[in-house]
Amino acid sequence: MNFELTQDQKILRDSVRDFVEKEIKPIAAKIDEEHRIPQELTAKMAEMGFFGSYIPEKYGGAGLDAMSYALLVEEVSKACASNGVYISAHTSLCCDPLLNFGTEEQKLKWLPDLTSGKKIGCILLTESDAGSDVASIATSYKRDGDHFVINGTKMFITNGGCRGTGILFATKDKALGHKGLSAFIVDLSSPGVTVMKEENKMGIRGTSTAAFAFDNLKVPAENLLGEEGKGFKIAMETLNGGRIGIAAQALGIAGGAFGRALEYSKQRKQFGKPLCAFQSVQFKLAEMYARIEQAKLLVYKAAWMKDAHVNYSTESAMCKMCASEAATYVTKEAVQIHGGYGYIADYEVERMFRDAKITEIYEGTNEMQRIVISKALVS
Amino acid sequence: MKILVCIKQIPDMASKFKPNAAGSWFSEADLAFRMNEYDEYAVEEAVKLREKDPASELAVLSVGPARVVEALKKALAMGCDRAVHVPDEEAYRKDPWQIASIIAGYAKKGNFDIIFTGMQSQDRGSAQIGPLLAGMLGFSCVTTAIGFSLEGRTATAKRELEGGAKGVVKAALPAVITCQLGLNTPRYPTLPNIMKAKKKEIAVLNAAELSSEAALAGTEKFYAPVKKGTGLVLEGGDAAALAGKLIDVLKEKTTVLRG
Ligand SMILES: Cc1cc2nc3c(=O)[nH]c(=O)nc-3n(C[C@H](O)[C@H](O)[C@H](O)COP(=O)(O)OP(=O)(O)OC[C@H]3O[C@@H](n4cnc5c(N)ncnc54)[C@H](O)[C@@H]3O)c2cc1C
Repeated sequence: MNFELTQDQKILRDSVRDFVEKEIKPIAAKIDEEHRIPQELTAKMAEMGFFGSYIPEKYGGAGLDAMSYALLVEEVSKACASNGVYISAHTSLCCDPLLNFGTEEQKLKWLPDLTSGKKIGCILLTESDAGSDVASIATSYKRDGDHFVINGTKMFITNGGCRGTGILFATKDKALGHKGLSAFIVDLSSPGVTVMKEENKMGIRGTSTAAFAFDNLKVPAENLLGEEGKGFKIAMETLNGGRIGIAAQALGIAGGAFGRALEYSKQRKQFGKPLCAFQSVQFKLAEMYARIEQAKLLVYKAAWMKDAHVNYSTESAMCKMCASEAATYVTKEAVQIHGGYGYIADYEVERMFRDAKITEIYEGTNEMQRIVISKALVS
Repeated sequence: MKILVCIKQIPDMASKFKPNAAGSWFSEADLAFRMNEYDEYAVEEAVKLREKDPASELAVLSVGPARVVEALKKALAMGCDRAVHVPDEEAYRKDPWQIASIIAGYAKKGNFDIIFTGMQSQDRGSAQIGPLLAGMLGFSCVTTAIGFSLEGRTATAKRELEGGAKGVVKAALPAVITCQLGLNTPRYPTLPNIMKAKKKEIAVLNAAELSSEAALAGTEKFYAPVKKGTGLVLEGGDAAALAGKLIDVLKEKTTVLRG
């Protein structure tokens, strides 16, 4: 058993860390305030290869492993959780299903624009009445000659506002439940696609979370992803991988907040001593650090299992659950250690506290993760 | 054009250093290592030169224990073509003369036109490797370069002199250039280039076959300075008065401020 990163993984982590320190950290507060990731930063991240980390070189990716991808999302999220999910939703939820379920033709057609960052990817599952209950999706498709016609709405779509490439889930007949679902590759700048709304959120405010309407959207038949009727399986397998990305994002948020709290506890003096001299603060730091390390082991293990091509669905559910709960716990305590300053937007932990919560909700709420884990145990 | 860049891996300078058991150098336990900062400037300058001439070839070399392969891989990911590792678990015990001799032993056979090194290492800070190497090879040598260009077989380098003045020197190739902060901004290894670097060659050479020079100077002792508590705390009075006092002290005791 070996808990060491490989030399290549360490080079990647350090390189991403240096990049984040210089290019992202200084503007993370601005990204949150202005609700957008600047185009120039997207270009720089694209040049770094952030949008194609583990996608094979043949499709314009870097061809690295899932572990490297987790490290990338973690390091980015230490400074900016918005950028963490920007990369994660794009990679795990759009590039990944294309890679796993796409035909060679589809991969060659769609992946290079995604891995180069020319187009930003997203997944369109959630609807107003279909959240945790994916099988009750009502957006419908109908075959019409050499294309499909799609009608319906989607909401809460991360990266939706970028109007790049989307993996859209629709049903042939809602009465068929999960058996009616199919997945389609959609160019979101096509006619028939309308962005209805950009949500105003508690955290990860730099990312777009958009609501869509599809009005007789024509999708060429060759854009069907995987087999017809296999949409549910595609969605579940995709979310499996995606959870590693979200867990890595949560781990990054927790790590970022911990770093700020530790530093602050050494600098801030009350009663003639630095805060870190008080045992109650020390115990907080110990608890925070231990929870981060627990989560890290689970996240890295799930990524390692993905790379080893063994079934990792329980591990990905556990790592997402534990890392997100570590993130909300650690950011809450980080604010507490900062006292009143922690509540003020000038201090980064204020943003991190708001950013952390979503990791317990999206890509399957933690209640759904507990269902996944317990099903594997008792079935 | 054949280019060589020599790099060293050093501990993260923010680490807590402890002497090793023999008290001869620092203990490596619990330390994280990275490429010496000045060597990053050297790699960047070498890669820039390499990119200007597709026919050129750029090798990166490091003498040191197995861990230095990580620094070599980083240099490959930044754009070097191939790497040379001279494994030496006890490189820290060798003096600059011996290390330079090993590098010269390799460089002599390589027909290099130009060799870049860092101005000094962040840990030992002897700043001797570049000049020694130039002497051993009979190359011209420019130290502490903060600007560099090449025309034909003539290198032009800008140097930072004492007190902030600048100087420009020209040197005929073959030459050794030691690189200083300000020369350039080292690139980040990109993800695709980290992947590509995995396929690049890392040759392993035997130190003993490259040089058998004895040390000219050995490190006797490594220890933390005794705490003297001579720090100065300015207290009392308003901010303006304190600032005035601080300026007086800086003028008197340091070179930060003048006249
Ligand atoms: C910022 C943001 C970004 C998002 N990005 C995307 C995206 O890119 N693409 C996309 O398709 N979706 C996205 N979503 C949607 C997200 O995945 C869903 O919000 C989430 O899955 C929960 O669905 P819901 O909001 O409908 O909540 P509900 O399903 O209504 O759940 C409400 C509560 O009930 C609990 N609950 C529900 N069912 C059960 C049960 N069977 N047993 C126990 N408890 C249960 C839930 O855990 C939760 O606590 C995003 C959401 C947000 C807020």
